[in-house]
Order: sequence, then C-alpha cells, then structure tokens
Amino acid sequence: MSGSFVNLSIGLIGAGGITHVHIPAWLALGARVTVFSLEGSAAVAAHYGVGVADSLDELFDNCDVVDICTPTATHYRIAERALRAGKHVICEKPIALTEADADALAELAAFVGKQLHPAHVVRYFAEYALAQQAVAAGQVGEPAILRFSRIGEFPTWSSWFADAEQSGGIVLDQMIHDLDIARWIAGEVTEVYAVKSAGDGCETAQVVLTHASGALSYVTGVWGAPGTTFATSFSIAGSRGILTHDSRTDASLRFDLGAPPIGTHSMRPDTSLGESPYLTELREFAAAISGGATPRVSLGDATRAVGLAVAAIESIATGRTVSVSRQTVSA
Amino acid sequence: MSAIPATTVPGARPLRVALMSFAHVHAAAYASLLQAMPQVELRASDPDSATSPVGERRGQDLADDLGVAYVDSYAELLAWRPDAVIVTSENARHRPLVEAAAQAGAAVLCEKPLATTLDDAFAMQAACDAAGVTLMTAYPVRFSPAFARLRELVTAGGLGTLLAATGTNNGQIPVGDRAWFTDPALSGGGAMVDHIVHVADLLDALTGLTPVTVRAVANRILHGEKPEVRAETGGLVTIGYAGGFIATVDCSWSQPDSAPTWGGLTLQVVGTRGIADIDPFAQHVGGVGPAGAVYLAYGTNTDELLLAEFLHAVRDGRAGQPDGGAGIRSLKIVLAAQESARTGAVVSVR
Repeated sequence: MSGSFVNLSIGLIGAGGITHVHIPAWLALGARVTVFSLEGSAAVAAHYGVGVADSLDELFDNCDVVDICTPTATHYRIAERALRAGKHVICEKPIALTEADADALAELAAFVGKQLHPAHVVRYFAEYALAQQAVAAGQVGEPAILRFSRIGEFPTWSSWFADAEQSGGIVLDQMIHDLDIARWIAGEVTEVYAVKSAGDGCETAQVVLTHASGALSYVTGVWGAPGTTFATSFSIAGSRGILTHDSRTDASLRFDLGAPPIGTHSMRPDTSLGESPYLTELREFAAAISGGATPRVSLGDATRAVGLAVAAIESIATGRTVSVSRQTVSA
Repeated sequence: MSAIPATTVPGARPLRVALMSFAHVHAAAYASLLQAMPQVELRASDPDSATSPVGERRGQDLADDLGVAYVDSYAELLAWRPDAVIVTSENARHRPLVEAAAQAGAAVLCEKPLATTLDDAFAMQAACDAAGVTLMTAYPVRFSPAFARLRELVTAGGLGTLLAATGTNNGQIPVGDRAWFTDPALSGGGAMVDHIVHVADLLDALTGLTPVTVRAVANRILHGEKPEVRAETGGLVTIGYAGGFIATVDCSWSQPDSAPTWGGLTLQVVGTRGIADIDPFAQHVGGVGPAGAVYLAYGTNTDELLLAEFLHAVRDGRAGQPDGGAGIRSLKIVLAAQESARTGAVVSVR
C-alpha cells in the first residue's frame, strides 16, 4: 500500500546520501522524478532511471514539488527560489541554519500559497511515533524526565558535515532530531542548557531542555570514532509509568558482520523491518500536497527545532542557560 | 595516611564491628553480610528508634530479627571498644556518630552521602584524622566488576581521550520502609542527594578530573500524588570538568513502584576511540510469574565487597577506599546541583 502519486512530479536537488533514500521512496509512491545537482546528478539519474535537469530553472520547469536534499547551508536559498517559482517544497532537516531564516521561509510559503514540509523523519520511525501516541494517550501520566540518545560515527562521507558553518555541527545536524521529538512528546520548551566536547575527529554534546509543563529532557548525540555502530535510545518517565526503547536490544533483526571493509563505512542497521520511515514521511507530504491530511510534522515544528538547536549552540558558547520562550508558534 | 592505633590492629582475635543506627535501609543488609563473615563480632545500637515512625521496624526488634547483639545506647556500644564502626543513621545525622566513633578510636565506614553539608563532612574527616582512624564512604558501586573492567579499559587507553559521560541512577522512591528519606531535614534533599553521588564518585574514580561547573534542574512530577514527598523526585545534572570533559546525570526516582526491581545505575563513557556502557545491576533472569514481571538478580554483591575492603583496611591498618575525600568530592557536586536547581545559575564547584 505505497499509495500512488502518478500525477506528482518531483524535482529533487542534491546527489548525496539522503538522495539515495528519497528517490526509491518517490519511485515506490509512483511519482515522476527529475534530479538536479551541482555534481553527480547524471550518475544518480542513470542509476534510478529518472530524469536529469541541467539547471535549477530547468528542474523547476519539470516539477510540481521540489525536494531539497542538499547541505544545510543551502536550504534557505534553494527553498526561497523554489517557493518563488511557485513550487511546493519538501526540505531535509534542518530547514535552515537560523530560526529567522526558517520564519522567513514560512512567511514566503504563506505569501505564495505553497506548502513547505520539513523532513524530520524520526517522527516517522514507529518507536518514536508509538511513544508519542502513548504519552499523548496518558499511558505514563504526566511526562517528567525524558532521555534521548543518538550515537553514530562521525559523518565523514561528505566534507560539509564537519564544517559547523555549513552543518551547524552535531547539535543542529544530528541532535535536532531528538530536540524535535522531545518537544513533540513533552511540549514547548522554555529553557535550554548545553555542553559539548570534541577531539580527534569526534564530537558529542549534551542538551537539557526545560519544558513549559515542568518536564525535563536530556538529549545527547555522539559523532564517534570510525565504525561506531549507529544506535538510538529513549526513556520517558512519567507520573504513572515509564516507556523505554533501545535500538541495540529492541530489534527484530540484528547482524554481526564484523568490521566493514577498509575504506567503507559501517552500515546503519534499519530496525524498522516494515515500510521505510522515509517512504511513510514522503507519502504524508505527497498526500498533503495533493489535498489530503496535514502531516504530523509542521513547518512550525521545524522552526522550533532549529530554535532549540541554535539556543543549545548559544548555551555551549556562553556557558549559560538560554531562554527560548516564544508566545506564538507559526503553524 | 594516619597511623592506626594499636588497639585497632587485632591479632587473631575477631574484629569488633559496631553498627550505629538502623535508620538507613542498608543497615540490615550490612548486618546480615557481616554476620556471615568469619572473625567478626557484631553489635548494634539504634537509640533513635524510640522516636522513629510507628510501623518502621528498628531498634531491639530489628536486632532480634537479624540475630544481632544489641545495646541501648551509643555510649555503651563504643565502650565495647569496637575496631570498626559503620554509621547508618539518617543522612543529616552522620556527623555526631562519626565523631564519637573516631574519638573511640574506631575506623569508620559512613553510609552515603557522607553528610548533607560540607561543614559536617569536613568536621567528620577532621575528627577521623585527629583520632588517626580511617574514614570510608559507602560507595558500593565502586566495587562492581563491570566498573573495574571499565577502569582497566580507560587506563589502558582503550577509549582514547575521554570526552563525555552519561550516568543514570534511577530507583524506586524510598518511601514506605523509612519515611525520613523524603524529609529534606533528615535526608538533605530528594532524588539529587540520593542519586547523584554514586555516578559522581564513579566519574571521580574513573577520570580523576576536577569538576568545575554544575548546572541542575529538578522537578516533582514523579510521585506528585504522595503527600509525604517533600523534595524533588526528578533531576538532570550537568557537570563540566577541567579539561573539557562533560557529564550529565539523571538522578530521578523514576523506577515505578510496580517495577520488579528497585532500579539501577548505568554509565556510558564516550571517548575518541570508542564508547563503553556499564550497567552493574543488569545481570538477572527475567520472566513473568503469577504476580507479574520477575527479576532475579545475580550480579556481584557489591555491598559485600565494600564491607570486605573496610574490614581488610582495618585489619591491615591502612586507609580504605573510597575514603572520606571521595565522599567530600561527590558531596560538593550534590551541593552545587542543589544550589543550581534552586537559583537557576550555573554553579562553580568550590
């Protein structure tokens, strides 16, 4: 039941890691795909048998929806051009490097009357979605103390990750996932405190969120040594119970394949044996663009996630707790 | 270290061990373990049991349950000239007992936290130093074989340069058996004073690094329905160490009352060459019985190893570890965390 979006034409920008996840998902959904990238687009197009454009304008001429799979620092300008060209936009997380840029994109999207969907895929992983639903249904009572952890090897497969100017570093690139999930589950955040430690090509940070409800969340991310096994975990303790998940143990499928061949990277084990969460995500966006239901993650959510990450980076820089109270949240 | 007086260096005669107070739930566990140890004579006193809450089994009654010789006063207990004293009173009442034990020439093992104020902790250490007796802090997790292996790995450089740690010490809320645990006047606080110290001590022993800043937040959402709870039940404590190492500790009483085991402690250490996790209380056989989930723990009894170290130290006339200094260093983090949670500030560790 992949759904069928044969009338949907996607203009995908970028030829990096996430492109190879999005294109198969779009093809499974029945959409028509054209790809544009400063480099590598011809190989991608040939590999998947999709169209290729030689310029952004040519891409825009061949699609209804632009799917931005480029490095973070380019998101704002590409999204702006796509919206001004009258396209709906799907944009990888983080939606922008600053909350102001994210707000500006939201205003522009509203002005041109087009949809802009942020690809916060972790909301589409079953364990996180289930936990959010269970907490919302009161299964652990009032959330009190939450912990989220995301561990992997330092992303060396593309050089821009290591450049904080382009990626925002681990907080904005990787931990933004769990900052978003913490806010999804425990509500709006009022204060952020964060610390960071790095060395020898590794980077790790620890963020503590104070939610408006009084709940407290701990989010940690690790970009570790080469070969570090990707692992996620969470614990949600509430007034009536506790929910936990750990990808290292709560999996229906586990491989022990030994060290990866020299020059390659460790495999990211896919613990979701069912449909790819990326496919679920893109189907929700496609459905919304086609007039269907509103997706579970909004542009406002993505903007707030950027705000939390930026606040954490500020806290790391200043050593102080950063207030992030904000009265209105754009939808 | 200070010399141990001749009276506490027995030859072949059994070691005299005195247990001061049954206020802490660990007192009964220590008593049972000590009774099973060879060459140990055990006596106990729990005079405050006269004013303890109705329904809490203490004093002569508990001594009878345990089959432990009992005397009515601490003066009588110390007049017996014990070689070693274990202090298991309420957290805020450690100081007078430790001072009295030291003055009686006995080596002291004090339940954690060492004290609830730095003044008390320094006075206790000074009393033991003046009397020339050793002071140990009861941090049993230090004796976990998992921690020992982690220490070996770190010492051998197996994790590379240490960058960060995440510690959790989550347990069931200690109400029921002993009401004072949730009375800040006697316990020194709530979940933070109860559960920061173990992880803080492990990090101290593992890294030897000096904590510089502490930032903590706490709440009382867990167990909010229990009127007897008068302190924080959840907290997250972030510690910055000299040299850039960072750690966050979840010290919450977040193990539900209905859970099949009391809780646990975990420590994850991130280094430039890898990541290590320890979970010293994880070893168990799980299952489901007529009353629900079953948890049959089989891990090493670290209380037993702690007591063995204490008694060995007394017999050998040496200082035991973890010592009073370890108790003081981890108490500093607790006090800084309490101040941070109260004021909202990032607190410098004194």
